[in-house]
Amino acid sequence: MNRPARGRYRVAIVGGGVVGLFTAYHLARAGAGPIVVVDRGFLSSGASGRNGGGVRQQWETAATVRLARESVAAWRRFGREFGFNIWFRPGGYLFLAGTRDELGRLAEVHRVVAGEGLPAELLDRDGVARHADGLSLDGVVGGTFLRSDGTLYPFPVLWGLSETLRSLGVELLYGVEATGLRLEDGRVTGLATAAGPIEAAAVVNAAGGWSAEFTRRAGLVAFNEARRHEILATEPLKPFLDPMVVRLSDGLYFSQTMRGEIVGGLTVPHPPGTAGGMSSSPEFLVRMARALTGLLPRVRGLGILRAWSGYYDENPDGLPSIGEDPRRPGLFHANGFGGHGFMLAPASTRRVAQAVLGEPTDLDPAQFHPGRFLDAHRAAPAEGLTLG
Amino acid sequence: MGDAPRSTVRFRGRPLSLPRGATLVQALVRGRLPILQRSIRYHRPRAPSCGTGACSQCLVRVNGRPNVRACLYRPATDDVIRTENAWPSPEFDLFGALDAVFPRGLDTVHGFRRPAVFAPLYHRVIRRLAGFGRMADTPGPTPPPGRTVPTDALVVGAGPSGRAAAQHLASAGRSTVLVDRGSTGDPLPGVTAYDTTTVVFLPPPLSGGERPFRAIAVRDGGEALRLAARTVVVATGGYDGPLLFPGNDRPGVMTAEGALAFTPPGGDPPFRRALLVGGGPRAAELLDAAGAHIEAVVAPTQIAPTVVGRASALGIPLYPRTLLLAAKGRHRLRSVLLRRRGEGAPFSLEVDAVVLAHRRLPQPQLFFQAGARMAWRSAGGAYFPVLTDGATSVPGLFACGTAVGHPDRADAAASGVAAADAALGRTGAPAGGPTLVPDGPPHELEGYYRELLDGARRRGKWVLCPCEDVLLREVETASRGGYRGIEVIKRFTGIGTGLCQGRYCLPDALLLLAILEGRPPSDVGYITQRPPVVPVPLGALAELPDAPEAA
Repeated sequence: MNRPARGRYRVAIVGGGVVGLFTAYHLARAGAGPIVVVDRGFLSSGASGRNGGGVRQQWETAATVRLARESVAAWRRFGREFGFNIWFRPGGYLFLAGTRDELGRLAEVHRVVAGEGLPAELLDRDGVARHADGLSLDGVVGGTFLRSDGTLYPFPVLWGLSETLRSLGVELLYGVEATGLRLEDGRVTGLATAAGPIEAAAVVNAAGGWSAEFTRRAGLVAFNEARRHEILATEPLKPFLDPMVVRLSDGLYFSQTMRGEIVGGLTVPHPPGTAGGMSSSPEFLVRMARALTGLLPRVRGLGILRAWSGYYDENPDGLPSIGEDPRRPGLFHANGFGGHGFMLAPASTRRVAQAVLGEPTDLDPAQFHPGRFLDAHRAAPAEGLTLG
Repeated sequence: MGDAPRSTVRFRGRPLSLPRGATLVQALVRGRLPILQRSIRYHRPRAPSCGTGACSQCLVRVNGRPNVRACLYRPATDDVIRTENAWPSPEFDLFGALDAVFPRGLDTVHGFRRPAVFAPLYHRVIRRLAGFGRMADTPGPTPPPGRTVPTDALVVGAGPSGRAAAQHLASAGRSTVLVDRGSTGDPLPGVTAYDTTTVVFLPPPLSGGERPFRAIAVRDGGEALRLAARTVVVATGGYDGPLLFPGNDRPGVMTAEGALAFTPPGGDPPFRRALLVGGGPRAAELLDAAGAHIEAVVAPTQIAPTVVGRASALGIPLYPRTLLLAAKGRHRLRSVLLRRRGEGAPFSLEVDAVVLAHRRLPQPQLFFQAGARMAWRSAGGAYFPVLTDGATSVPGLFACGTAVGHPDRADAAASGVAAADAALGRTGAPAGGPTLVPDGPPHELEGYYRELLDGARRRGKWVLCPCEDVLLREVETASRGGYRGIEVIKRFTGIGTGLCQGRYCLPDALLLLAILEGRPPSDVGYITQRPPVVPVPLGALAELPDAPEAA
């Protein structure tokens, strides 16, 4: 088993996915001191290696739009900064509404996004047809589109981050499970792991689907929960689809990757928690096949190549938890991203690093602070556009 | 076959007459295989290879539908068949220049980043190169509605072991469904048989209910079945494994299965003088089937007496313990370069084909899907289900035949009966005395590859994963860069993510990574076997009814 090289660290990060690694990157660049990342699996084994690669800036909450816009800029720079080509392709995100109500919701999204200065388009049926060839428009009344949204290839993000972090002296310990916190007078002094104790002045919970579990291992009530989401890829075809397409009614989303595969998913309710493992279900395959062939009839004869699943780490209000846990000084949260941790990672984790370093962030505590769920009477905007 | 009824189709713009019932590849074989395809990255010429619809080397466009496997497809009159991913033709493809221009391959992991203003151009070019066929012209016909088939027992695979198991179960009064991706053979009393039906997904059994197994199968013609069974016997058999050498993807390199499948009924094999690789029962079978067209027999290790006897009778030279250094030829195979292991100078043989019959691998996908406990058996260089008298670790799931390591036909039938007995709850029934694949010394190819890679001058491309055109060099570079384990290497290089789902790269990749990482193949890990077992059309699945509540 991998073991820590030193006894004492400034920061120990639980979770070596994109959120944990990007947090470590910002901390290392800020000269935070010795940093260690522990992860129960291997690099890319969690949701960071299982997502569809979508990157969008269309959200219901302006704060999320801003995080997303800053993240898109970071994805554009990634190749130069980290030496790996992530093939970020701004093919746009096309949201589809099937009813007047849904279109009203998208109009509100459009208002927020446009208010942040992004050139999103509010579309009628014909407008939708202009952006994606071959869609069956039965049951489509309109949508929104933003060209600068797009897709990337998730794996090289992980390779680039991990190689850069190693060169910056950050220790990455994969195959090491974090089992709890070490405390002194109620304050975090380190991490208990399967490879022994690790002393650290701050611990960041960036464990994605396993972060609720880690919070509970730290003796605290968790408000987020893991939900298994399924996804599939088809045989590769020559390019025919530019944008990521997302349908509000059932959460259907799909795009065509650089390799030519159609990759997409659909919401099938699974019980919360990680106990069920990350397998595929026949229900998903059948429902996804129906949804996809209904919206894009020409894929009827196209073969499904493989299906897999991963966890969304979902908060009750659709927004992530970023900052220090008021119940446990020294424990910081970078979780609850609801399936959007990858696309929002660059900007969100900058705020996580600021919080760890005791610097102020520009985030509204009512929207992002981990303690917000402790207040039963809070009235804060929630992010409802959590599909795709 | 001259008097058999014939169909006429349009193939690449010209009429083609072919015997009805023949596959497209059989119809196109003229003493050699047709080049139907260019590879996905380097546009290397490719001809049919596996003969089972698994590999990515015979995809054609039929009536406006892409990615149809020519090795399985039996054309109907007036079909319009075209080739894709090549211009002007698969034989002479302008994009094939990429292969020569980039002898060391393209680095899409680090490359194509600069200058940033070129990114949109790079994206367009790489996207155009990727993918095999173009999107279908039309949605095509709606597949027949799917249906649920309830049964006591489901037997997957109608080889000797599957048939024995099905017969045994039916004679004990169990309603029995037998499916096979090819033919189920002669009817068996009491057994409902489905030909050309592939079980693509066997999820772990539901808890409770009378029929906890809900396998999904797809039939030729697009009908999907939900097979609801009390017990399942998996007898999916094996397939002929790959061998890595430069030129291993050249037109003319095929598996033994391919060689048999491409031979038209009553016709000549798809080669005139082939090199047969292998020294065991599979090689003997090929000598029986096509001995007149075999130029020589080579084997990575020893050659069994049965093969020696047959070859000697035909006057075919034998080269045991020999390295296959390279397959040469500009497009098609013209010669192979060989060297005796341990010593000696390389020598070449003029051949027009290489037939791989050196290694029979189990089809383990359904076991993994169902959650059965698996064990690495080094002598087989593969994972097999852990069995107790034919029962896997999953209650209700039984297994027999080549898929669990019973090598010959007699053994296989006995193992089928044993599995059926176990399914019937007849504990203590004799297991049939078959010898399972032992664990112990490393697989014979591990030493072979060590020697091959030690002495090899690395020239040209060693295509480890033909579906995705992933080179051995890329895997070695990733491995040296600290990326360890097959799951990470898969994500880094793309091996195992192509159409064959890793059938033709994973077995070698495990052995090669074991060498590179200095640990046993079982420590290198395994690629999660994701559904479906073979690509299944979205339209077929869309027609399946919702799952009935526990029936």
